Amino acid sequence: MLGIVIDDSRAMRKILRGLLADLGFEVLEAGNGQEALELLQSTGRVPDLALVDWNMPVMTGLEFVVEARKIAELRQMTLMMVTTESEHGQIVRALAAGAHEYVIKPFTRDGIIDKLALLGLVPVGVL
Amino acid sequence: MTNDVAMNVDVDLDIIAEQVWSAFLNSGEDEAIFAADDKGSHADLAASVAMVGAYEGHLVVSCSHKASRDVASVLFAMEADEVSQDDIGDALGELANVLGGNVKSVLPSPSQLSLPRVSATEHERWPGTVEVCRTVVSWRGEPFVVSLLSGGHAVHKTQEVPA
Ligand SMILES: [Mg+2]
Repeated sequence: MLGIVIDDSRAMRKILRGLLADLGFEVLEAGNGQEALELLQSTGRVPDLALVDWNMPVMTGLEFVVEARKIAELRQMTLMMVTTESEHGQIVRALAAGAHEYVIKPFTRDGIIDKLALLGLVPVGVL
Repeated sequence: MTNDVAMNVDVDLDIIAEQVWSAFLNSGEDEAIFAADDKGSHADLAASVAMVGAYEGHLVVSCSHKASRDVASVLFAMEADEVSQDDIGDALGELANVLGGNVKSVLPSPSQLSLPRVSATEHERWPGTVEVCRTVVSWRGEPFVVSLLSGGHAVHKTQEVPA
């Protein structure tokens, strides 16, 4: 499976990359929404999963979700927001825009894995 | 107005700090002490995020150079002497971002969070602000002062609030 971690913090990308790699994912990284769209376009790759931060320069996570949902080739990609934004209204906005799941930072490793399992994204026998 | 908001805010910074430290900076033997004493603490660096909207203010976390290097070392899973200044800025900025987002969720909404900013404390000022509350986390023997400010909305509003 292929995942992409989109976060402007390199530290956060490293943590999330490690978590996905432990689950057997191949992992791409981008520092904002625009960079992610360009990377996916240039490589022609379609991740099974995107972990998306909200607050990023250039293109926010919410803007990325809106744009990604307009691209037919990316329709199968599961979008999980992983963000410190935790106002109810913002969670509703992200889900309405097409995000499938919402994880609030600080997260625990188990918390993310449980949500991925519910989405059918943890391969059997990996844990 | 600023003082009204400051007086009506009920934020438990200790609980939020505890959640953040236990999720991201709990590396075995480094147990953090919350609501610690900040007597004599010296901060070299301050990381902050601005809140703009129904609540106007800043969440600031400040600490020593050594403490900031330790944070980067844990978040990047590297030896402390291997982390760069960029790594330190990234790690401390993300710490402020996560603290700020969680604090914002219990403040009047809606508000927007700016991107984090990290700089030397001697260059950092928040004019027109009042401190609403603060707590001190002692981690690896180093104090981290976490402070919620109210007011001073013009400071990093223009450049750093995402569109
Ligand atoms: Mg971010």
